Amino acid sequence: MSNAIIHIEGLRKQYEGASKPAVDNLNLEINAGAVFGLLGPNGAGKSTMIMMLCGLMKPDAGKISIMDMNARANGQIIRKKIGVAPQEIALFPTLTAYENLFYFGRMYGLPSSAIKTSIENYLHVFGLTDKRNKRVQTFSGGMKRRLNLIAALLHDPSVLILDEPTAGVDVQSRNMVVDFLQTLKSKGVTIIYSSHFLEEAEKLCTDIAVVDEGKLIVRGTLSQIMHQHPDCHNLEQLFLKLTGKNIRD
Amino acid sequence: MKILATIQKEFLLLIRDPGGVALIFLMPMILVIVMALIQDAPFRDYQEMKLEVIIVNEDNDSLGKKIEEAFSGRSSNVALIHKSDTVEAKNLVLSGNYKAAVIIPDGAGESLRRRTDDVIGKIFNNPSMIDSARQASVDLQILFDPAIKENYKQALSSGLEKVIADVQIEWMIDELQNQVSSNKHKKVKIDFAQLVSVKELYPSKKKTHFKLNSVQHNVPAWTMFAMFFILFPLAGNFIKEREEGSMLRLRLISGSQFPVMAGKFGFYFMVCLLQFILMTAVGVYVMPLLGLQQLALGGNIAGLLLTACSVAMAATGYGLLIAVYFNTPQQALSFGSISVVILAALGGVWVPVYVMPDILQRISRLSPLNWGLESFTNLFLRDVSTLAILPDLLKLISFGIATLIVSVFIHKSRTIS
Repeated sequence: MSNAIIHIEGLRKQYEGASKPAVDNLNLEINAGAVFGLLGPNGAGKSTMIMMLCGLMKPDAGKISIMDMNARANGQIIRKKIGVAPQEIALFPTLTAYENLFYFGRMYGLPSSAIKTSIENYLHVFGLTDKRNKRVQTFSGGMKRRLNLIAALLHDPSVLILDEPTAGVDVQSRNMVVDFLQTLKSKGVTIIYSSHFLEEAEKLCTDIAVVDEGKLIVRGTLSQIMHQHPDCHNLEQLFLKLTGKNIRD
Repeated sequence: MKILATIQKEFLLLIRDPGGVALIFLMPMILVIVMALIQDAPFRDYQEMKLEVIIVNEDNDSLGKKIEEAFSGRSSNVALIHKSDTVEAKNLVLSGNYKAAVIIPDGAGESLRRRTDDVIGKIFNNPSMIDSARQASVDLQILFDPAIKENYKQALSSGLEKVIADVQIEWMIDELQNQVSSNKHKKVKIDFAQLVSVKELYPSKKKTHFKLNSVQHNVPAWTMFAMFFILFPLAGNFIKEREEGSMLRLRLISGSQFPVMAGKFGFYFMVCLLQFILMTAVGVYVMPLLGLQQLALGGNIAGLLLTACSVAMAATGYGLLIAVYFNTPQQALSFGSISVVILAALGGVWVPVYVMPDILQRISRLSPLNWGLESFTNLFLRDVSTLAILPDLLKLISFGIATLIVSVFIHKSRTIS
């Protein structure tokens, strides 16, 4: 019996005016409790796929089901159970860290006491307790990234979707984020992790999919994939072999 | 709870934006004061303005003296400046130092007497009196500054004509008595002013009445203008949230779309009401300190609050629609500000609707600012009941609800692309 929490079947999306689809006939299953690495060069279709997973973009064709619910028909229910840290810093710059988190907690419909407890806990975990009353506009890139991640965690989601969560972040902050994700992994939270940092993916992910030009190129556990390509010694070599060395914009 | 949270968030965002606070509260207060001061003179117009007029009286008869007396009266709006030289008077008017000069030439009174005699001579068939009228008449002249306002010009001309008519009637009656009584009876002195008089009254349910003045027009007019300019912070913040990504987070939170829109609507609705209260307070308490009339609110306070709420609804709904429809702040703010200026102009904020051409008067009834201004004017000056302003209030409320619904629809449709 399948343990898949997310089913993607024949997914296709082509933007208006684009010559080819951003996502092209994608079929994928993601198991519950997996840390699923969604890898690919710029413009591969990762963010489009994430937007469709979150129900923010309608696919041209295909079906997504999350927790046995059709993503299009049950978008409202599904969004309650998933947390998303988008690539953008989705925060209010002139509000403090605490004000931002408290507002998002209330928008999730959480009771004030639960929000406060959750905020204090996550600020402590991500080393931001002493910055709680500072405005986000004064934060460094790493601090903003960590806060962006906390905002996706406030409602304890069963599925966490992270789009480039460590982009533009220093090594210390990246390390802190990866360590935390390891903790979540141990708690059984399903994580979909899109990143350009292949070392991170190697360290964190239980399953990996490499996509390019909207198509799934390879999919499996790290060891399965490496086994299929014995000439590659690490994920980076494999990635370059599969997607080529041409610059993507 | 979610709506309240959004209202609190919007409050924090606004108070941390000093420029936005100044734009919402300080600038409109300055605007309403400046506009009331600038338009005070045109509103006072002839009734309250003292017009300085040169008089050159070369008449040796009593006509010149009668005209001087009439214009020097306490109730006259004309201050006469006596000059003896017609050429000098012309030059002074030409230079723009004086708005007009009344020239009463030598023989003007005599000419009027001859005309009067002519009429009486014809009535009593007295050829000697008719003969005297055959001589050339001497006319009075008024020299006007080309820049004089038409209403001043008309007032001065009609004032002069009235004095001449009064003198002519007085002389006619004198001559009639001379012809009829033939010295048997003492002449009766008739005060023509007491025969028929015109009283200016304003129908009002109360003993006191208020007429339109600069404050009564400008305070509600520019208050509404400022309320509609709420679109600046509203659309600015909204598009900034969209560009910076915080709106994306809210789109990712289930069931947050309506509370976000309703919270923004609720917050800016309250800001509009606060603007109204502040601007009204300026009209009531600050305007008199600046030598302007005090804003009279009329007796229907409930109607006034309802009107303020209705205008606030319309203004906030419009701002929200602009915010969701446009993609960039430049587009939203340019379109928004120009459209509000057009709606204000059509609505009668700058010039009253009744002076507009017919076609514009009809179009002006489509402007929400006109609905609001009509309602305020009716409340302030006509002291009407709430029922009388209900049609305008319903239009404003409908406009507010319609724009809110369309905004939510557009926003939701863009949530899922």
